Amino acid sequence: MSAGDRAGEGGGAGVESAEALLAAIAGGDRGALASFYRLFHGRIYAFVLKRVAEPALAADILNDVMLQVWRHAARFEGRSSAMTWVLGIAHHKVGDALRRRGREAGHEELDEHMADEAAPAAFDLLSGLEDAGAVRRCLERLSDAHREVVHLAFFEDLSYPEIARIVDCPLGTVKTRMMHAKNALKRCLQGLLEGGR
Amino acid sequence: MNTRDTSSHPEDLLPWYVNGTLEGAEREAVARHLETCPRCRDEVAWLARLREQVKEAAPGATPGELGLRRLLREVEAEAPAPRRREWWRPALAAAVVVIVIQSVLLVRPWVDDGAGIVPLGGSRGGAVIQVEFRPQATEAQIREVLQAVEGTIVDGPGALGVYRVRLEGEGDQRRRLEEAVARLRARGDVVIHVAAD
Repeated sequence: MSAGDRAGEGGGAGVESAEALLAAIAGGDRGALASFYRLFHGRIYAFVLKRVAEPALAADILNDVMLQVWRHAARFEGRSSAMTWVLGIAHHKVGDALRRRGREAGHEELDEHMADEAAPAAFDLLSGLEDAGAVRRCLERLSDAHREVVHLAFFEDLSYPEIARIVDCPLGTVKTRMMHAKNALKRCLQGLLEGGR
Repeated sequence: MNTRDTSSHPEDLLPWYVNGTLEGAEREAVARHLETCPRCRDEVAWLARLREQVKEAAPGATPGELGLRRLLREVEAEAPAPRRREWWRPALAAAVVVIVIQSVLLVRPWVDDGAGIVPLGGSRGGAVIQVEFRPQATEAQIREVLQAVEGTIVDGPGALGVYRVRLEGEGDQRRRLEEAVARLRARGDVVIHVAAD
């Protein structure tokens, strides 16, 4: 029985089996690669799609990420979880793709500037979060770097040190980006709420 | 009324309190603060609702099994698998060393002042260089040196473990090429060999 067979059982493989899969992939086990893909492709695709907003491009990047896993699984050192490692690869692949597309995160300054302004109080805006469409629109308006941190914190439920490893930046930068993202979201939701009145 | 007094309100840690990844002293400090701070409790409630919305906004369709078939097709085209080529890697590495030494002694090649380096000047972005990394170099180290020269891996590793790296960015391509080659050679802890493509 290959590592791929073992990890594929039950569909709920934990950290240990994901690491076993990477070890098997490093040894050329294509079944392990297929199991790894089935375990993680949904989350990687969601992460990439949130940043590039184009399903076809996101699918291409997912494929590139998995090819990178195939070629370089031996470089996984177990210092982070397999998911953190592969999201780090995806982070850089998306950055390359955005640069090629010529629209690398260009809204950071706007969001940074906006974050200096007082954000509306959280209590006043709880109702704004009940409108899923409004939340989605406001998330889409965030800069790439801010949207990425929100996704990793609240979709992936990762700690800020894990996010710092993935996006390759200092811990303080992760926390600052999250603060700015949160304030920009509040202002956006407030604007939509007021516009709807 | 909201202020940005983060010295008394641990705003920057609340997202990670909400996603359950805050640990130890930080988690205890935030929990203690929340007992007496209605404003931060509102903030936590807002962030918790935002987290739910982010999770609900997961993409519906993913590349799924079609994406897996595409991946395995490309892996097949890339054969041989990683493990199979590992046994002759040391021999090839030795061969590369011999070639490099011969080049230095006999031909005065890529180690000179870079005057002989001619960028490709092709239509797809910047100049392309060949780089061979040390086998023990980590992904983080490789990423670091590539980012320092704004390089993107466009091909490889080839049979000899050599990658082709395109130098992104604007400006005098010849000058950028010379600077990149110099920078990479200075990182002997990561890079074994670098030459113009």
